[in-house]
Amino acid sequence: MVSDIPGTRIRQYRRDMGVTQAALARKVGISPSYLNLIEWNKRPIAGTLLRKIAEALDLTLDDLGSVAEERLRAELVEIAHLPALESADVEADRSSELIGRFPGWARGVAALARTEREATTRAQVLSDRLSNDPFLGEEIHKMLNRMAVIRSAADILVEYGDLTDERRDRFIEIIHEEIRVLSDNGEALATYLDKAEHSERHLTPVDEVEALFDAREGRFDEIEDQAHAMTRQLDDTRPVPRRAKARALVEERLGDAIEQIIAGSPHVETEAAAARARRMLADYAVGAIMMPMPAFVEQARELRFDIEALADTFSAEVDTVCHRLISLPRQDDLPRFGYLKANASGVIIEKLGFERLIIPRYAAACPLWVLFRAQQSPEAVIRQRALFPSGDRFVFIARAQNTGMTGFGKPRHYVTDMLVTTEVHSAMTVYAPDLSSVVEEVGPGCRLCTRQSCAHRVEDPFTG
Amino acid sequence: MTKRVLLAEDEPNIVESLTFILERSGFDVSVTTTGREALEEAQSTTPDILILDVMLPEMDGYEVLRRLRADNRTTALPVLMLTAKGQREDRETAIACGADMFITKPFVNSELIAAVQELAAGEPA
Repeated sequence: MVSDIPGTRIRQYRRDMGVTQAALARKVGISPSYLNLIEWNKRPIAGTLLRKIAEALDLTLDDLGSVAEERLRAELVEIAHLPALESADVEADRSSELIGRFPGWARGVAALARTEREATTRAQVLSDRLSNDPFLGEEIHKMLNRMAVIRSAADILVEYGDLTDERRDRFIEIIHEEIRVLSDNGEALATYLDKAEHSERHLTPVDEVEALFDAREGRFDEIEDQAHAMTRQLDDTRPVPRRAKARALVEERLGDAIEQIIAGSPHVETEAAAARARRMLADYAVGAIMMPMPAFVEQARELRFDIEALADTFSAEVDTVCHRLISLPRQDDLPRFGYLKANASGVIIEKLGFERLIIPRYAAACPLWVLFRAQQSPEAVIRQRALFPSGDRFVFIARAQNTGMTGFGKPRHYVTDMLVTTEVHSAMTVYAPDLSSVVEEVGPGCRLCTRQSCAHRVEDPFTG
Repeated sequence: MTKRVLLAEDEPNIVESLTFILERSGFDVSVTTTGREALEEAQSTTPDILILDVMLPEMDGYEVLRRLRADNRTTALPVLMLTAKGQREDRETAIACGADMFITKPFVNSELIAAVQELAAGEPA
């Protein structure tokens, strides 16, 4: 099995390729003894040196597990600064070392923190239930009544030594009876809470649906196949009727396929998530009917993945095109995209398919992302070359769209769609930045960001 | 003179235990099992003390208490409220409705008796 940890992986790949430590060390300009320390995870490795080693071994960074490690590192740094650990003086700046030297412990700490977070959320949910849920209120009321009787009768047995035999037997009988009812109450409560526990394993419906899409790499072939056959029924070329017709077809014929996907997914557990998944899969199916994949791939290549031109060509909305782009087959000659959607308050309401982009789990994202600027120029596509403190470069492509009413004086509510890709992948698209375009320094969000002097910082830097 | 306690409680086993310990402490106990009965009984017989459960059928304890306080005959009747809910808001509601004391279930017999005796002592003999 290939390890998750870069040092171990370097050792495994180097040996497999028959390269000596000395040869590899020479090639990347470090001493063999230092390479030895890296390979045995006694020195952290990241950034330029990791890239050099990857190049020298003809591997990608993903091959060396750096993405997984970077996610783990970001998670540990966040954990190190959780308020609960404030007094522990956790060495946040040494998380890479921890991962390198004690990978099991590092993963364990992250797993514990996740468990703790889920437990806290569950406790909050249950606490809300305790105060608001009529069934629970009733059941607890009954249990407290039972306990009151048991306690009172037991005290009588102890405190009144002169009870007649008849009285004594009567109170024992009462205790016996009440304990039986109490245990029934307890069982009913446990069953009820057990159901509640199952329904709250994921934090939010958004998480559950994201997990469903990720597990399928954003593609649902059972929908694609059926949708393809329906495309020729879209006889109107005007966008609105075309979309309406596609939607009607989905409702009429693809309901079962969608339900089967949801029922077969271990990720969708709550009714709220099922409702969300139903909506998103219906949108997916509408996109699949309007833009069947073979034709979409052909046109996308032709138009160099220009989202507005594609929307025109297929008489579709831009957000439908964006969704379609993340479902592209994973092959080398097609770019890979991730997708984010944010509402006007900056909350990310959808995130699909880009595991390398680290978004903080516990805090807000970086305000410098073009995602949050697009609403200043609605309906215009804007691009951003984003440089992260880790050295990762992404190309962000964002466009804000009105979802409110149209007409003079009507409130407009913008949501922003944003595609995420890498500079390398963007080279296949119209969004490929030329070398003279500005590279903007952004971050993953203040808490994970090392840009100490950033003027837009609202929370203290935690990473080292 | 023996003090008369009216116990308004719908759980038969609680009634049995409470009746026993109250009688053993020298009180004369009568029992009602609904809110409406408790109100009528308190108004017509004016007991020395009312032990009033909050969750009663037909009319809850708070409503019974409000009506008692609005009635000249029972406006000063010492009332000990008994409830399975121990939350602060319930205590506040009970006090706002005019309860003299408040005890939550499960209670300790001796504390309950002490509370009833205190209420009894506050009344002119």
